[in-house]
Amino acid sequence: MSAQNVIDVDHVSIRFNLANQKVNNLKEYAIKMAKGELMFQEFLALKDVSMHVKRGEAWGLIGTNGSGKSTLLKTVTGILQPYRGTVKVRGTVAPMIELGAGFDMELTARENIFLNGSVLGYSRAFMEEHFDEIVEFAQIGRFLDSPIKNYSSGMKARLGFAVATMVESDVLIVDEVLSVGDYQFRQRCNTRMQELLSGGTTLLYVSHDLPSVRRLCDHCLWLDHGDVVMSGSAEEVCDAYEMNQQQAAQRERAERDRKKAASSGGKYDYLIVGSGLFGSVFAHEAYAAGKRCLVIDKRDHAGGNIYTEKTADINVHKYGAHIFHTSDKSVWEYINRFAEFNQYINSPVAVYKDELYNLPFNMNTFSKLWNLKTPSEVKEKIREQIESLHITEPKNLEEQALSLVGTDVYEKLVKGYTEKQWGRDCTELPAFIIRRLPLRFTYDNNYFSDRFQGIPIGGYTQIIEKLLAGTEVLLNTDYKDFIKTHQDSFRKIVFTGPIDEFYDYRLGRLEWRTVRFETEELDTDNYQGNAVVNYTDREVPWTRIIEHKHFEFGTQPTTVISREYSTEWQPGMEPYYPVNDERNNDLYAQYRNLADQEENVFFGGRLGTYKYYNMDQVIAEALKFSLGELGKLSSNG
Amino acid sequence: MKAMKYRIHTFFKYKDLIRELVSRDLKLKYRRSFLGYVWGILNPLLIMIVQTVVFSAMFKRNIQNFPVYLLTGRLLFSFMSNSTKMGLKSVVGNQALLKKTYIPKYIFTFAKVTSCMIDTVLSMGALLIVMIATRSPFYLTMLATPLIVIRLYIFSLGLSLLLAELEVFFRDIEYIYQAVDVAWMYLTPLFYPIESLPNLVQIIIKTLNPLYYYIAAFRDIVLYGRLPGPRLIWGGWIWAIVMLIIGVYFFQKNKDRFILYL
Repeated sequence: MSAQNVIDVDHVSIRFNLANQKVNNLKEYAIKMAKGELMFQEFLALKDVSMHVKRGEAWGLIGTNGSGKSTLLKTVTGILQPYRGTVKVRGTVAPMIELGAGFDMELTARENIFLNGSVLGYSRAFMEEHFDEIVEFAQIGRFLDSPIKNYSSGMKARLGFAVATMVESDVLIVDEVLSVGDYQFRQRCNTRMQELLSGGTTLLYVSHDLPSVRRLCDHCLWLDHGDVVMSGSAEEVCDAYEMNQQQAAQRERAERDRKKAASSGGKYDYLIVGSGLFGSVFAHEAYAAGKRCLVIDKRDHAGGNIYTEKTADINVHKYGAHIFHTSDKSVWEYINRFAEFNQYINSPVAVYKDELYNLPFNMNTFSKLWNLKTPSEVKEKIREQIESLHITEPKNLEEQALSLVGTDVYEKLVKGYTEKQWGRDCTELPAFIIRRLPLRFTYDNNYFSDRFQGIPIGGYTQIIEKLLAGTEVLLNTDYKDFIKTHQDSFRKIVFTGPIDEFYDYRLGRLEWRTVRFETEELDTDNYQGNAVVNYTDREVPWTRIIEHKHFEFGTQPTTVISREYSTEWQPGMEPYYPVNDERNNDLYAQYRNLADQEENVFFGGRLGTYKYYNMDQVIAEALKFSLGELGKLSSNG
Repeated sequence: MKAMKYRIHTFFKYKDLIRELVSRDLKLKYRRSFLGYVWGILNPLLIMIVQTVVFSAMFKRNIQNFPVYLLTGRLLFSFMSNSTKMGLKSVVGNQALLKKTYIPKYIFTFAKVTSCMIDTVLSMGALLIVMIATRSPFYLTMLATPLIVIRLYIFSLGLSLLLAELEVFFRDIEYIYQAVDVAWMYLTPLFYPIESLPNLVQIIIKTLNPLYYYIAAFRDIVLYGRLPGPRLIWGGWIWAIVMLIIGVYFFQKNKDRFILYL
């Protein structure tokens, strides 16, 4: 209650009499009195509400319909008198009047400007002074002398806004009126409001449009059925409110689903096997399209390989480094609905014995290798090395790689790493594994060349949680066991596990490459100074070390690292990468034939289609599938 | 005393609003029709001609200048009747505005009665035309007209406030008042001489019908060229002030509850 507060609302309650409100004529009043039904039915529209607004602050009032937002505004304006408590306003109040409420439709705009101005308590002289300003802002120009009954609703809104905001009053009250008007006008309204705010005007703003509340307001009051639920910084209150609204929507949806389930004999529309990115994106889209889905996953957590887990306050990428990168703007916008991304750029470092090189192979790498400075010198050097080898027809991977990058790059940066990856010598590996080894003749350590790149702040698990919000998920559930007992519970199945497993390996097993991680927490705050370090000499048993904290620029006191080992794949191990050699591709094609005959089973994702996907590609595939299957995609927001 | 000062202050703060509201009413009434202001005069004239044709034969012997007799009564009665009918709706009719912004609610009632008064003053042109046409003499006493209009204005304002307040709580007051208005018109000697009524009714009307005081006084100064007696003057003032006090009292008492019924 300090003196600089512009608005002090102290323990205010507003009482309505519900019984009386319905009786507004003498006849009914007499009848009710005769029957003895004129009872007092108390209804508190506001209960013990307090709010203290300092000069220049912008307060948003949020809450569902009937929560008391407008009642509070009316109390501040002086329209309603508090039943208990006190309201003090120091300064002039300019209410933004509802569309056309202050206007007489028969009068012209010119006349209405003066009428509306006087409604707001401004003198005629004052209005004359600001007349041109208003006309200009409202952009009604040549219609100035037409009766406003002929105006469009947008023009009326412009006029109303222009009159209300032309003066820098102490308190501006805006109650859900800016939703009308075209885009350009809304922009100008926002600009004008920002101007007023920076000029020291206090704003009370009621809106259901949370983004605009976040943009305009620094404080927020959340009302529910007349009670203050939360009061504080706009961000926090909006977040909490949004969460609450989502939960309420989910409860409602769950209720609807229960009813739908009861009427359809308990059948789900979709069984989604695997809760990785493909399954989760489809589950999200199906949920938004009103379908009822069940997601099962044999692991004890959802998310597949993008799952991150918090250890020592660090988001650990449990199944290897996941760096999101894409050039597809729609995919980038889609994923950003579920997390905020940081500015991480992947620039790995390679360690060869006691030497250290930048990756990917670029001018930094080459200048370190040969102490050369210009691209032409480097190109010449590589050309020399390749030519001296005289390889015409590469017979194995070693010859293939040598003919692409020359001796030095191959020996130090390719050979050992590839041999560890595949568990045998490069001379024993087929040439096709490496088709090209990109060399970059710029000083650029950015591993990816995509437009968008980053790590979700807070890890990937939140993305999965948000994608699966509202959908039922069964963990620790293996498809083969589960389907035995639930054969008729689903109309359709989306299978994102290995396609050969679905057919019980009847045509033989597809082969995979797999990786193994040894993760440990170290008592140092920075172990290797980079998120990804590759070990390219064969004597070091691991291929890479991931230091997870650097993905999010962490400053925790300890660190968590994962040593990555390549391991020969055996049936039963986690499949990571498809081995797209001839044998496996042929086998997959045969499984694909089987799959194409299925009417109600769809295969998706890396395992289901035996194809290497980056995260952005999986999302694009999942969205493409969703669009075809559901006929539409969820809209933004 | 402080409250009084505050009230006067807010009244002056909103004087421009009253001006805008009054000018809106007048503009809308006169501007959008072809004949404009002429209608304001023509309308009472036409009604007067019709009623003169119908009633003058009946009361010819008792009334010396029937057209002027009729018009003096009608002008004042219409003022009271129109202003209270419009005043009755002044708060409810502006509910959209009152729900959104704080404006002293009596402003709307005040503006309506005021615009009706200005309208009446303009219509007095019809009276002048009739007086010239019937070669009725112009008396000096006619200069007292504003005093009578002010008394009736105060009375109508008080009654309008009371009705506007009742209308908020009971919307059917509007229809009840329409019936009252018709009865009131017949119980006011507009087109008949009061002497033609039975004695008892005469006494009742002369005491309890406030309009009698204003109309009788008006006819005294316009038609008969004499100053009204003290009974008419003081009776008129007392009715006006008592009505205003009643209207203001109930209006003030309940004004904060209006919003709950709008």
